[in-house]
Amino acid sequence: MDGIIYLDNAATSFPKPDVVHDTVRDFYSKYGVNPGRTGCDLALKAEQMIHGTRKGLSDFFNQSIVDAGKVKDPNRLVFTMNATMSLNLIINGCVKPGDHVVTTKLEHNSVIRPVNHKVRAGSEATFVAPDVEGYLDPESIRKGIKKNTTLVIINHASNVTGVVQDLEAIGKVCAEAGVPLAVDCAQTAGVIPIDMTKCNISFLSFTGHKGLYGPTGTGGICVADNATIKGSIFGGTGVRSADPYHLEEYPYCLEAGTLNLSGIAGLSAGLKWILGKGIDSIYHHEMELMGMLQEGLAAIEGVKIHGTRNLKKRVATLSITVAGYDPSDVGTILDVDYGVQSRTGMQCAPLIHEHHGTTPRGTIRFSVGPFNTKEHIETAIRGVSEIAADRRK
Amino acid sequence: MKVGDKDIALDKDGFMIDPEVWNDAVARAIAMDEGIEAMTEEHWKVVNFIREYWKKTGLAPAVRPMCQELNVNVRQIYKLFTSGPARGACRVAGLPKPDGCV
Repeated sequence: MDGIIYLDNAATSFPKPDVVHDTVRDFYSKYGVNPGRTGCDLALKAEQMIHGTRKGLSDFFNQSIVDAGKVKDPNRLVFTMNATMSLNLIINGCVKPGDHVVTTKLEHNSVIRPVNHKVRAGSEATFVAPDVEGYLDPESIRKGIKKNTTLVIINHASNVTGVVQDLEAIGKVCAEAGVPLAVDCAQTAGVIPIDMTKCNISFLSFTGHKGLYGPTGTGGICVADNATIKGSIFGGTGVRSADPYHLEEYPYCLEAGTLNLSGIAGLSAGLKWILGKGIDSIYHHEMELMGMLQEGLAAIEGVKIHGTRNLKKRVATLSITVAGYDPSDVGTILDVDYGVQSRTGMQCAPLIHEHHGTTPRGTIRFSVGPFNTKEHIETAIRGVSEIAADRRK
Repeated sequence: MKVGDKDIALDKDGFMIDPEVWNDAVARAIAMDEGIEAMTEEHWKVVNFIREYWKKTGLAPAVRPMCQELNVNVRQIYKLFTSGPARGACRVAGLPKPDGCV
């Protein structure tokens, strides 16, 4: 859209690369049929596309296995509708009444709420607090683990401040304690290289429509070969229809019903686009702009940056408040008078706002994407600067 | 809120429970509560636009097209309604509280 400066990529990446739209259209115009339900040519082609995307994503999250010349079972990459569904499947499949789960105050409601529902049904939970910048001390995770802990679930990067956790250190703690580690990679899948083996991750939850540049309605879980999740959705699988119960092998044990086929085709194109551009190259571009944005905003009187200013262990997300303003008003003025689209409020992560003292009205969040430019950042800084100055008059 | 001899029911945020009982006197009373001593022509221009849009669509108007239509920038709306277009102008226009992600 002309005149729009989109700085809300933590909510969903926009625009998507053209190849993603083209691939979705291509799927529907050339082979948009249901795989597994028949042996016809079109169905087989659709099945190949699904399998190829499973394998591509599975390898993407398990580079050390690929580098060692071994095979990561691609069927343990299951597709879901989104990260929320993935996280619900993980939590429901690993935590039963009497079990304990360790999570953190950095989480999105997609973890907080399912965990709270488990607690209401008789489980226990510990919400570990990060330090003042938002980083978790791996030892605090160790201290949170109890005899009945069946799951540690954390996010890789905060959707509010962009702070990125040390997964290798946290994974080591979980491995030593013999507790599976689930990681919500909604903000990092496709943005930062993640290696499940190196980080001892049992369950990696991802969304397709953010850093992987796929369509909305796509997501999934990559399950380590030595881990398992008890299934909690049952129905059609397209194979072994006479079986009265849902299949227990992957991917079927966590998938039921027709997949979002066109979405997965688009997701496959998004992944290829990232690999073609280079994940490091995209990250470097985004963080250069984030550094510029952070420096510019920090210099404005009345602007407060919440969370870390570290640009190393971070994704390109930043939260601010402006003295004398409700965050939603700043967002409205930025949008209408400057064309800058941010995200205001609590961003579905209430506990980290409590931690940073930004409840109940939240913050103004900016999140940079690969299609942003220095001019976009300059306009955002100018907008915030002029808005802040209005309240100083 | 008492307006004339009528009791006007408001929610906890001061938005009207029943937008159908809105009239100019109610608007002036809510405006007073917003700290607007007297509704000017500019206030009414905004309020009437919101009201008409809501009657046609059942929704509060998006701020950008409203500003374009009224040929004002959003900061002028904030000068008229210090609580802003949603919490200020829509409230004076008698709309139910708009949804928003907070």
